[in-house]
Parts: sequence; C-alpha cells; structure tokens
Amino acid sequence: MPSLILRFDWVEVPLKSNTRSRVFSSLRLLVRNREALVGTVIVVGFILMAFLVAISILLKIQITPYDPITQNVGPSLAPPSITHLMGTDVQGRDLFSRIVVATPNDVSVSLAVDGVALIAGGIIGSIAAFRGGLLDEALMRFTDVIFALPALVLAMSIGVALGPGVTNMMIALMIIWWPPYARLARGEALRVAHQNYIEAARLSGLGTMKILFKHVMRNIVVTMLVYATLDIGTVILVYSGLSYLGLSVRPPQPDWGEMVSAYQDYLITAPWLPIIPGSIIALGVIGFSLLGDGLRDMLETR
Amino acid sequence: MEPILQTTDLTKYFSVQRGLNPFSKAKKFVRAVDGVSMTIWKGTTIAVVGESGCGKTTLARTIALLTKPTSGDIVFDGRSIVNGKTNSKQVYRDLQMIFQDPESSLDPNIKVGDSIGEPLEGLMGWNKNEVRNAVEKSLAAVGLPQDSVDRLPGQLSGGQKQRVAIARAISPQPKLVILDEPTSALDASVQAQILRLLLQLQKDYALSYMLITHNIAVAEYLSDYMAVMYSGNLVEYGLTEEIMAKPRHPYTIALISSAPIANPWKRNLLQVEIRGEVPSAINPPSGCKFNPRCPYADGACSREIPKLQEVSPGHLVACHFVEKTA
Amino acid sequence: MSNLVKVENLNVCYESRGGRVTALDKVSLDIKTNELLAVVGESGCGKSTLALAIIGLLPNPPARVMSGEIVFKGTDLIRLGQANMREYRGTQIAMIFQEPLSSLNPVYKVGDQIAEAIMVKRSREDGNPPVESEFMQKTHKIVPPSKVSKSFRYGKRISGELKDEIIASLKLVRIPDPDQVIERYPFELSGGMRQRVMIAMALSQEPALLVADEPTTALDVTTQAQVLKLMKELMTKVKTSVLLITHDLAVACQVADRVAVMYAGDVVEAANVFDLFSKPLHPYTQGLLSCLPTGSKSKVDLKPIPGSVPDLRSPLVGCKYASRCQFVMKQCLDRKPDFIETMENHEVACYLHGEKNGTHSANN
Repeated sequence: MPSLILRFDWVEVPLKSNTRSRVFSSLRLLVRNREALVGTVIVVGFILMAFLVAISILLKIQITPYDPITQNVGPSLAPPSITHLMGTDVQGRDLFSRIVVATPNDVSVSLAVDGVALIAGGIIGSIAAFRGGLLDEALMRFTDVIFALPALVLAMSIGVALGPGVTNMMIALMIIWWPPYARLARGEALRVAHQNYIEAARLSGLGTMKILFKHVMRNIVVTMLVYATLDIGTVILVYSGLSYLGLSVRPPQPDWGEMVSAYQDYLITAPWLPIIPGSIIALGVIGFSLLGDGLRDMLETR
Repeated sequence: MEPILQTTDLTKYFSVQRGLNPFSKAKKFVRAVDGVSMTIWKGTTIAVVGESGCGKTTLARTIALLTKPTSGDIVFDGRSIVNGKTNSKQVYRDLQMIFQDPESSLDPNIKVGDSIGEPLEGLMGWNKNEVRNAVEKSLAAVGLPQDSVDRLPGQLSGGQKQRVAIARAISPQPKLVILDEPTSALDASVQAQILRLLLQLQKDYALSYMLITHNIAVAEYLSDYMAVMYSGNLVEYGLTEEIMAKPRHPYTIALISSAPIANPWKRNLLQVEIRGEVPSAINPPSGCKFNPRCPYADGACSREIPKLQEVSPGHLVACHFVEKTA
Repeated sequence: MSNLVKVENLNVCYESRGGRVTALDKVSLDIKTNELLAVVGESGCGKSTLALAIIGLLPNPPARVMSGEIVFKGTDLIRLGQANMREYRGTQIAMIFQEPLSSLNPVYKVGDQIAEAIMVKRSREDGNPPVESEFMQKTHKIVPPSKVSKSFRYGKRISGELKDEIIASLKLVRIPDPDQVIERYPFELSGGMRQRVMIAMALSQEPALLVADEPTTALDVTTQAQVLKLMKELMTKVKTSVLLITHDLAVACQVADRVAVMYAGDVVEAANVFDLFSKPLHPYTQGLLSCLPTGSKSKVDLKPIPGSVPDLRSPLVGCKYASRCQFVMKQCLDRKPDFIETMENHEVACYLHGEKNGTHSANN
C-alpha cells in the first residue's frame, strides 16, 4: 500500500457535537415535556410498588397498614378516613391494603405479556421480512390466524382447561398478543432491508442472520419500543377485564379488576368501593400512555 | 491491456406476479437487463450511462452479486463468478460498491470507525489491531480527521458520509469498485471534492471503476470508456472521448445533446429533438427498443434486435442503420 | 424592460427548536417582465424560501417574514393578508414544483384538475374573487368570501367548450393523445408528462410570473431538455416571466436570460447570463464555475471550493463566504458587503468590487 499522507486541504469544518451532549439534550427534552414526566412518575411509582409488594410477600412481611385478606379489621362499608385511607368493604377489609397488594398482578402481567409479544413478534416479523418467499407467507398467515383468535374466548378456554389464576391469564394473553408486533416488525424490517447499508453489509461478507441481528434489529427497535410502551396500557385493560370476569384470582385474593366486579353493586351505597380500583386501573393506563407519547416525541425528533 | 471484468449476454429478469395466486408461474417479466456483454479494462474507468429504467443500476447490482443473474456469465479477474461454487466473500475482497444515497449508506447506530472496519472483519478475518490500523489509513486517504472514528453518521454532512462510504469500500483494497451515482445526491461543490478524491484514490490504489450515472458531464470527466444503455440493452460502447465527439447511436446522440452544457453560448438544449418516452420494461417494442422514437427507424428496426457492430476500432454500436449517423 | 417584481431587503427566518435560522438575510432582487431569471445555489442557500415567499406559501409557523417587501406590479405582497394574496396566487403568480406527483391530486383525473384551473380563471374573469379549495382553506386558514363563485364539481362529465379548452391547453404543452390523457389519473402518466400538465395548469391562468422550483430535477435528462425547451417557447407565447430555481448552473446557462447566485441566505451576484459566465465577479461564483466538470479529466482541472457552508443557526458577522474565500480581507469579517451594481446590469456583494469603504487591494 503506498504511503498515505493527508493530501487534501479542503477537509471540511469539524464535525458536530459528540455523543454525551446528545444524550443530555434528549433527557432535557424529556424533562421539558411535562406530560411525559407525569407519565414517567406514575409508571415508576407503579413498578416500585409492585416490587415492594412482591418482596414483602416473599419475605412474609406485611407492609400494608392492615392485612388485605383479614375480615373485620374495621367497620363494614366505612368511607375513606384517616384510619382507612380508602375505606372498607362489606366484609370489613381495608381497601387500601387490598389495592396495594394487588399491584404486582397487573404490573407483572402487563410488562411480561408486552415484553414477550415484543420479542416474539419482533423476531418472527423480521425473519419473515428478511427471508421472504414461502417462509414469509407461512409466518404471516400464521400471524393472521393467531390475530383472529378472540382474546376473551381464548382466555376463558384456558381458564377452563388450566384453571383460573394470574399466571394462566398471563399465558393466555401471551399467546395472542404478539401478532401486531410481528406485522410492525415486518414492515420496519422491509424498510430497513432496502437501505444501502444492508447491501454494504452483504458486500462485507456478512451472512443474513448476522445482518439481521447487527443491523436490522437495532434499527427497528425504536419504533417497536414506542409501540410497545403505548401498548402496555391496553394489556392492563384487557387483563383487568379478564379479572373482572373472574378468570384471574380466586377470592379472597385481591385483584383490581376482580374488585371492580365484586364491588359494582355498591356503586350507589359505597361508591368508593368500585370507583377506586377502577381509577387505579385508569391511572396505570394513563401513566403508560403518557410515557409512550413522551418516548415517541423524544426518539422521533432526533 | 487486460480486462478486469467481462460480462457475456448477462440478463436479469424480474417476474411479475399476475393476480393473487402466490403459486402461479409468472408469465410476464420485467426485462431489466436484456443481454449485456461488455468489458471493463484494468485500471480504467467505464461510465455506464442511461436514464431511469435503462437497467444500469440492476446491471451494477447483478455484477456485484447482490442479485442472481437470470442467465449469462460474469468473468471477474479471470474466474467466472456466476456459478454456485463461487464464494462471494472471496469476490468481495476484490470487488466493492459505493451507493447513491449517502444517507442510507451508513447504519445510523454504528460508529464510523466500525462501519469502515466492517468489510475487514467480515472478509479478511483480521484482528482488532490490524483493523484499527487499516481504518486509520482509510480515513486519512479520504481526507477525514482521525477523530471521526467515534462519530455517528448523524453527525456528518452528506459529503462526509459519502467519504466514509468510500473509505469503507477501499479498506479491503479491492481491484474493482462499482460507483452507483456517487455524487447525484450532493451539491456541486461537494461533488467536485468527491470526484477529485475518486481520481486520486484510483491512482494510489490502482483501482478500476465502473461508474453508473445519468449525468453526462460527470461521465465525461471521470471515465475512459463509456457504455450507453437503453431499456436493458447496451446500444453503444467505446472510448469516452470518441463517443462524446461523435456519438453514433441515435439514442446516444439524443442523450448527449440533452445534457446541459455550462456555457450560455452553446445552447444545445434548445435544439434537442427527441420525442416519446422510455418504453415499458414488461412489454418492450419488438425489434430495436428505440425504434418508435428513432428518427432513422426503417424496415428491419421493428423486427430484429440489432447486434453490436464495430464502426471503428473499439467503438461498438447496436443499430441497423448506423451509417446514417456517420 | 421594466421591473415586474422587486424584492427589497427581504428577511425571512425559520424558528425551530434548535434555534433561529435566517433563511434570507436582507435579500434584494428584481425580476423583469418577459425574462427568465434563474436563481442558482446549493442546498440551504435560501432559494426555495425566496420562491415560496414570492408566492406567499411560506409555512407560517415556522417561517416568519421579519422585514422587507416584495413589490409586484406596484403592490407589496408582504403587507397583503392571506385573503388578498389569493387575488394573485394561481392567477397572476403561478407556481410549479419539483415533484409533480404530489402537486397533482392522485385521486382525481387529470382532465378534471385542468378543468378546475380553467373554471377558476373564468370565474375570476366574471369578476368573482377566486375560491380556494376546501383543503387550501383549512391548511392556510383562509376565510372564504361570502360570494361563492362557480367552482368545478369533480366527477361531472366534461363536455363541449370546456373540453376543447382543456385539449387545447394539453396540445400547447405537446402532450400526445390529449383526449385520452384527460381520462387518466396522475399515476398513470410519466414524470415528464405530469410536469407538462402542471405547466398547462399554471399557464392556463396566463400569469404574469411563473415560479418554477426545481421543475426538472426529478426528471431524466432527455425529458428535462424537452420540458425546459417547452417552458422557453411558452414564455414568449403567453408573455410570462419565469423565476427558475435550480441547483444546476448548467441548466441556468441553457435557458436563463439573467442569473442570480445565492449563498447561505444572500444573493451574492446577479447579472445577465453571458456577463456572469464571461466575467464572474464574486469569488463564490468563480468557485462554483471552476468546480463544474466540463470535459475529460485529462483536460479539466476541477478546483473544488475548500471548506463548507456555515451553520446558519449561529449569527454570522461579516461576509458569509469569508471563511472559504481566497481573497478574504479584514473588512470582510467586520461587515457584510452591500449588494450593489458595479457594472452595467451586474450586481455583486463583494468588497473586491466597487465598495466605497475599503481598499481594492487583495493583499491585506
């Protein structure tokens, strides 16, 4: 190789700012977006609470003011007060304790289902896009079939087959949640596949699988992550619906959706009973939606 | 002079599906490259010129083995690279490509240094130190500062990105580089920088270039040989100087006279007489594809596809009535 | 030749999250009657902004006209509100864009769209104010006038006199088989044909000024030649002036009567096309000319311009080209040179030529 000297005096103006300041400016954007901030606070709050409760159950420590299952720790149908922050139900159980203890259910189901859907759908969709041909057709038609399955009916069948419970409902939702992610991943992967850097990677001797993981995945992950974050709220809603139908926990174990169902008759006489669990569900959905919006604004204006 | 690459009757057809049946055998084809035979001589630059739909980009991608040819042969550096036995990794050590759009040429999540080193890792199997040295040398060769190694493409301008793409292509020290419209997306002043860089690199590394372009001025500046394509066929081939001075194929005449000259006293544009549009690639006209638009078309033109014939040493034209343009 | 349009000290800024970008920095330019003025410059120089400002289609936000005036036939277009601008836009000042597929509505037939243009012209001649389409009203927040004029109803069969007029306008732009083209949708036509349809629609209004923003950049070389030739011929027939925005100096050479060169938001030189090429005064123009490939590599020595365009977000003091200019002097860094006429019909903004303060010696 001939000796190379910097022979050009028209080297251009120094390159733009480096990585560190870019990360800071992205974070600054997030903070500036108040809605996203609110969403983040809510989400972080929920997740922390879920953690705390899960650990406390593991270590068999009670962190709530009252035991959530024990009856008659207070007067029956007492409205919210200092001693019972959210009031009591007809059996004298403290509502606040029940709400708190039920947190890990919704949080874990929504995060787990969404995560699995994201990964499974992402892999299926990008392989279909990249390989094309018959494999693409087969995978996508399989996706369509799963997509067509009604969530409720499937969940009920699984409830009958395996018995009710949080884990079983989680499984049921995982089975049917991934098709939109596969579609999204396929579309994104097709877009990326036409970029010149993919062809350059081929010219560098990289095999299809290597290109998929090195280049394609990294470039579709942003769009998919934004969609996934916005989707978590939906999982919470659907799971609460299943729980409302009694397919999830067995009483006396508390679960937000189940509580709405159990307390709906008290809407006039003790309105705090159905309204508070319902509001907590709504708060969770709102929190994740706001966070998803903020994430999208931050990532897509870069 | 010896050839670095030769194609013989190279074709690339894309099948067009009729209807919704994914299993139906396609009866219609897009004849993107319809039998092209040409030679690239070692150490020279050949410009493949033509307008949209002529097949020059498909030709480039087929030669680069990014798509499989439908038929025909490609002989690169003495060996045929079309049969199934060829290891594409071996070929890519000596054959590289630079693309038109600098924005999509680099993975936005991968650092510049790693992008440049990608072919070295994939093709040469070097260790980290060897790769780093080679990347440093490539950066210096294209005139970018060494601290670019850690930058992301988003921090570079279009011209800088194209330089990175060039650095990546030359890092494995190839023999032939295919340039697919390397400056079409760049401003005039940046274009000039890149053209000079390409010339310099050709001298330093003894490269052969296959330049794909629709810009006649760039083709004239950079190339020694020219191949004119129309609707999948090669219609004229020869020394650039000869073809620019005296084009013989009626399409080449129209093409060159349509290229705007930067000289207000030579207003060629307003004298151009060409009618019609580029024909469909699925249903081309029978015989010579240019015949519906050709001012000299006659008898055999609509029946028989003309073969390339020598009108002077090294100057080939595919026209039944080439004597009419003498 | 009198002045059709006089742009005076026009200052346009874009407000974005990254800061304020001055797209046009007190730009002055004239367009005379019956001439083709080509505005040439590289990306980011502000030429498209200038075109949009003249036709009143600057996206508002983020663009803001900070100061200056655009005088068209005696009226300052900047001072007119959106409502009054409609008197001019599409009727006296027409515009064609780079990508004709997005300029033509893809869901309506070509014939219908031309018919609409003709109906607008007719209703204007009847004395009614022109009505913009509902979409235009909504996006540009235009309030429709109380007196609604006859607008074109899509889907109705075109017949008789209107059809003849449409066919005539298509023949004018040399579209083959016009009676078939009328029934086609835009996606069925090629790029060159679509651009011709745009020209037909624009010129059917018989505008005084046609603004063409990179009309041939997306077209093939041979199609470009046809379209440019057509524009030049129609100019004399319809007696229109044309403002041609292009990045291609060679194209400007071929069709323009006068050329204005822009750099980073300034007009740096404006002259008759022959004078510009034989005697380029501004160093940027000279640089631009010497970096065009005009022959084979063995004969032509391309001299690229060193450096790159300055970042328009940070306010620059002095001449914007100073950082790349080989003739730079101290005064170039202190104050931006005025755009003045140094020779007959040849204006330039450079201290090397005709500035009162500052010496002419280039060796400072």
